[in-house]
Amino acid sequence: MLSSANSYSTQHPASVPPPPYTPTPGRYPGATPPGGFAILQNPVPPPGADPKLWSCFLTVDVDRSGSISVHELQGALINGDWTHFDFDTVMLLMSLFDTHRTGSIDFNGFTGLWRYIEDWQHVFRHFDRDRSGTIDSSELQDALNQFGMKLSEHLLSLLVAKFASAPSGSEVGKPTITFDRFMRACVFVKQFNQGFENLDTDKDGWVQLNYMQFLTFIFSLP
Amino acid sequence: MAHLPVPTPCTLWTCFTSLDKDRSGTLSMAELQVALMNGDWTPFDLDTIKLLMNIFDVDRSGTIGFNEFSGLWKYIKDWQGVFLHFDRDRSGTIDGNELQNALNQFGYKLSPQLLNLLQRKYDVTASAPQTGGYQTAQPGITFDRFVRACVVVKQITESFAALDTDRDGWIQVDYERFLQTVLTLP
Repeated sequence: MLSSANSYSTQHPASVPPPPYTPTPGRYPGATPPGGFAILQNPVPPPGADPKLWSCFLTVDVDRSGSISVHELQGALINGDWTHFDFDTVMLLMSLFDTHRTGSIDFNGFTGLWRYIEDWQHVFRHFDRDRSGTIDSSELQDALNQFGMKLSEHLLSLLVAKFASAPSGSEVGKPTITFDRFMRACVFVKQFNQGFENLDTDKDGWVQLNYMQFLTFIFSLP
Repeated sequence: MAHLPVPTPCTLWTCFTSLDKDRSGTLSMAELQVALMNGDWTPFDLDTIKLLMNIFDVDRSGTIGFNEFSGLWKYIKDWQGVFLHFDRDRSGTIDGNELQNALNQFGYKLSPQLLNLLQRKYDVTASAPQTGGYQTAQPGITFDRFVRACVVVKQITESFAALDTDRDGWIQVDYERFLQTVLTLP
């Protein structure tokens, strides 16, 4: 699944480990198997489906409902340090790829999600210069600069503190960001910037908000 | 609800030392993560633990000492009481109505749209179809995310008040100030 373009092949930003397998035949359209070995009774992929993606989709869709829920997705997605993606990142991904607003992702959405995560893996590997498997402050700064989202030192340190996997402090190492939260941090800044631009109608760099608008703006961020 | 580490009888000190696996004399983020769980045995989410550490790591060491731990422990016990009080149907999670009740009682009157937005943000099952399938979790907001949701509403309200210097219900902020305010929220 991951390209082995780098030497640290054991440090995957994210990969999909196979969960336990309990197929329920008949939940997919056209799936009416006669019976036999469970492992062979797989639902039929849609025409033109990438077999690798289809097989991964089936693995993630633990209850064979035909679509992937928040919990199934959270169960499948892990960081390079084997921690699961946090729920807020999973919910962000759901919001991007649950195009029919069913609360779950179908195979079409899943192919989009897969590519999205692959793209982010490339980005992550590119900016993880020291190959630590996490993104530190200067690596994040480089990433944001490349995306055209330059932040002051002060804002950058606040951003790192918010998305780091642990709080900073005098007795612990410098804060670093895992793959899931790195994705979310970048999307957060992008969506904040877009939201601010939408509100700043006269383009003077200032916005005016009442309490409700303030809350709505903040609750809409990932 | 939430499980606290080590059942009775337990002095705060025995609990603290049993959690301090590496015998460093302080609790790291990782040691706290092992200890703190929701009623459904799911671990506390990372941002809730960071919130707790931000409040109680007063010497900014990045770890929790015994004195800081006693504050944290009491804080969680207090929130357990709050959670139990508002989880009217004893489901172990907080649904939309229960959330509205809780926020109203805390003095926050949010519109239905805002409540809905808040629910969707903190209830991981919120958008899921209620038609069965892979749903190991009870619908509603778990303890860890409920604490975080309430603290966020409180801190957003305080931030707004600090910015609304002329008390007219409107704030004017530039990009830097606005982003800084949002980034300091849990």
